[in-house]
Amino acid sequence: MLEIKNLHARIDDREILKGLDLKVPAGEVHAIMGPNGSGKSTLAYVLAGKEEYEVTEGSITWNGQNLLEMGPDERAAAGVFLAFQYPIEIPGVATMTFLRTAVNSVRKARGQEEYSTPEFMRVVREHAKELKIDPEMLKRPLNMGFSGGEKKRNEILQMSLLEPSLCVLDETDSGLDIDALRIVADGVNRLRSPDRSMIVITHYQRLLNYIVPDRVHVLSQGQVARSGDADLALELEKTGYAEFRGEAA
Amino acid sequence: MDLPVKQLRSKAEQDLLDVFSAVNEALPGAENKTVAKIRSDALADYASVGLPHRRVEAWKYTDLRSQMPEAFPLVQASGRAISDAEIETALSPRIAGIDAYRLVVAEGEFRPELSDVTALKEKGAELHSLAETLEHLPEELKPLLAESGYQRSGFEVAPTATKQIPDPIIALNKALMTGGVILRLKQGAALDKPVHLINLDGEGEPSASVTRAIVVLEKGTSLDLIESYASLGGRGLQRNAMTQIVLGESAAIEHSKLQLEDAEAMHLANLIVTMGAEARYNGFQYSLGARLSRNDVRVLFEGEGGTMSFNGAALLKDSQHCDTTMVVEHMVPHCTSRELYKAVLDGDSRGVFQAKVIVAPDAQKTDGKQMGQALLLSQGAEFDTKPELEIFADDVVCGHGATSGQIDEDLLFYLEARGIPEPTARALLIQAFVGEALEQIEDEPVREALTAATADWLGVAFD
Ligand SMILES: Nc1ncnc2c1ncn2[C@@H]1O[C@H](COP(=O)(O)OP(=O)(O)OP(=O)(O)O)[C@@H](O)[C@H]1O
Ligand SMILES: [Mg+2]
Repeated sequence: MLEIKNLHARIDDREILKGLDLKVPAGEVHAIMGPNGSGKSTLAYVLAGKEEYEVTEGSITWNGQNLLEMGPDERAAAGVFLAFQYPIEIPGVATMTFLRTAVNSVRKARGQEEYSTPEFMRVVREHAKELKIDPEMLKRPLNMGFSGGEKKRNEILQMSLLEPSLCVLDETDSGLDIDALRIVADGVNRLRSPDRSMIVITHYQRLLNYIVPDRVHVLSQGQVARSGDADLALELEKTGYAEFRGEAA
Repeated sequence: MDLPVKQLRSKAEQDLLDVFSAVNEALPGAENKTVAKIRSDALADYASVGLPHRRVEAWKYTDLRSQMPEAFPLVQASGRAISDAEIETALSPRIAGIDAYRLVVAEGEFRPELSDVTALKEKGAELHSLAETLEHLPEELKPLLAESGYQRSGFEVAPTATKQIPDPIIALNKALMTGGVILRLKQGAALDKPVHLINLDGEGEPSASVTRAIVVLEKGTSLDLIESYASLGGRGLQRNAMTQIVLGESAAIEHSKLQLEDAEAMHLANLIVTMGAEARYNGFQYSLGARLSRNDVRVLFEGEGGTMSFNGAALLKDSQHCDTTMVVEHMVPHCTSRELYKAVLDGDSRGVFQAKVIVAPDAQKTDGKQMGQALLLSQGAEFDTKPELEIFADDVVCGHGATSGQIDEDLLFYLEARGIPEPTARALLIQAFVGEALEQIEDEPVREALTAATADWLGVAFD
């Protein structure tokens, strides 16, 4: 279970998260929606451990462990995975080298046996096939020249390879065509399990038709302004965020 | 105001003159008048300018005079056997293991018994010991031996440049060279493997090694040349190595130079490449060792349609200093030159990359680009770069760029967020930075060996 209490976080002296509370029990999928700039990506980065964001107050625990005391790599080993809103291109780092280094680092940290190169190749090929990723793409440097949609799919490939227990998907649906959306959603749904929690950040109700959330939260002004069940997303689709923007005034 | 400057020699400057007086009569070719004249003229050139210092524009960032407190005596060759194991230790097993014809120059002398002389000759290569050649210098080699490294062009527009100032490092090489090799591929000769010229010095008492390698590729021939420089010990080595590569029409060379000397060594190197019509030079310089290293590279396009690509990487730490200074002269039309230099600087190290491209008035359609990049891993590291374009023709495409920065935190976070511990993530990014230059090496075993050497330097392995 993920438990966030009274989280305050700032960047460059600007407070973005202002007392955020959130609980995601094991096995549940929670959607986070909210206007642009409300702090959704900030929350995702803070969960993953990006250094620039300074947590000034509050706590985050994951299955009882204090995430705030852990470095990003330790959090990954503990099961945290962030699918980035904007996956970065890394010239010169071969995708396969990156994937193998990442997966074996995490396996080692979890006390699992590291994959040999041929074993790993087989595992990657299997996962890539399910996500309809052309293996030729994996021969390129990481994300280099990948289309927006290809980058998002590559994020989900990494997620399935790293076998996380807390998945945070930051607008993984944006930039995906209709078919890709279904492939990615299927990929995510395959990972749904009783001991895995997920946070799905999205602007669109459409994704939530495929990945049906247990709870929906609206983030506004750095706080959870409203929570509800899956129907809340449908309601927001009609009414928009006017209500929440109003609060800001 | 020009005041006559009183010649005040530093200790090292005087030492070098003394070294010459001490060994002059015993140097190879001492009996040969032409050679003796080349040597004495060169010494006079050196004496007229002394060691380079920071007020000499090309040595702005490398004040050799102040960094060289004394000059060591020339190495006394013992001629002792050097085992494969020792070579492996000096070069690293990977680099020593590259399948190639070996030419070994140790203690300033060519060592035929450690070299693949017979095999090379069977393949049609002409090979001579420099020391033997100096005893009876053939006329056609004279200009090569007497090379001063002077700029060839650009005087039409910049007449002041006609007053050539001798290069003291080349002058010292001419005055003091003790050995080396001369390798020639005649038309039609072809080698099935690279040639690995291994230079080993620095054993025992502090000493200087002054060597020369001359490689001539006649029309249409090609060669894969690896030059490695390493130490046999760590008591103090001052090296002055000069390599001349002459590429005939349509000749092609893949040239990798690996500098792997011990952390106390001083490495002064000159490379002069002359490019015939349609010739192709693809070079890589890898600088890992030495406390102070200076690589002077001159590329002269003498025939139309030549293509040159020069790439380099320096991985430095502690107080290492590595300076690579290039002059590329486009004297004729339709030639292309590319330079890409990468420095990874840790500790208090300092990297220097200076590249000057000169385009002579009739060298139209020249395409010249250069890029120097540094990755600074510590507060104390410093990178100095100075690109220079002297363009006297109007129809050319020339450009230069330079960047210097730290590891990108966003990239680092992305890798760490995937579970990769920070040191490994940093190493991956550094490897990627250097990789862009390493990729230019066409010889796969060399590229792989240097990629592995880079990983070793970083203290990681990505299999
Ligand atoms: N490095 C930064 N320096 C200053 N402000 C920042 C920085 N990064 C983010 N912000 C600000 O923090 C606020 C929240 O940004 P965040 O990216 O978390 O929003 P979001 O909810 O994910 O928006 P979107 O829906 O557009 O993705 C924004 O106003 C943004 O401008
Ligand atoms: Mg966002």
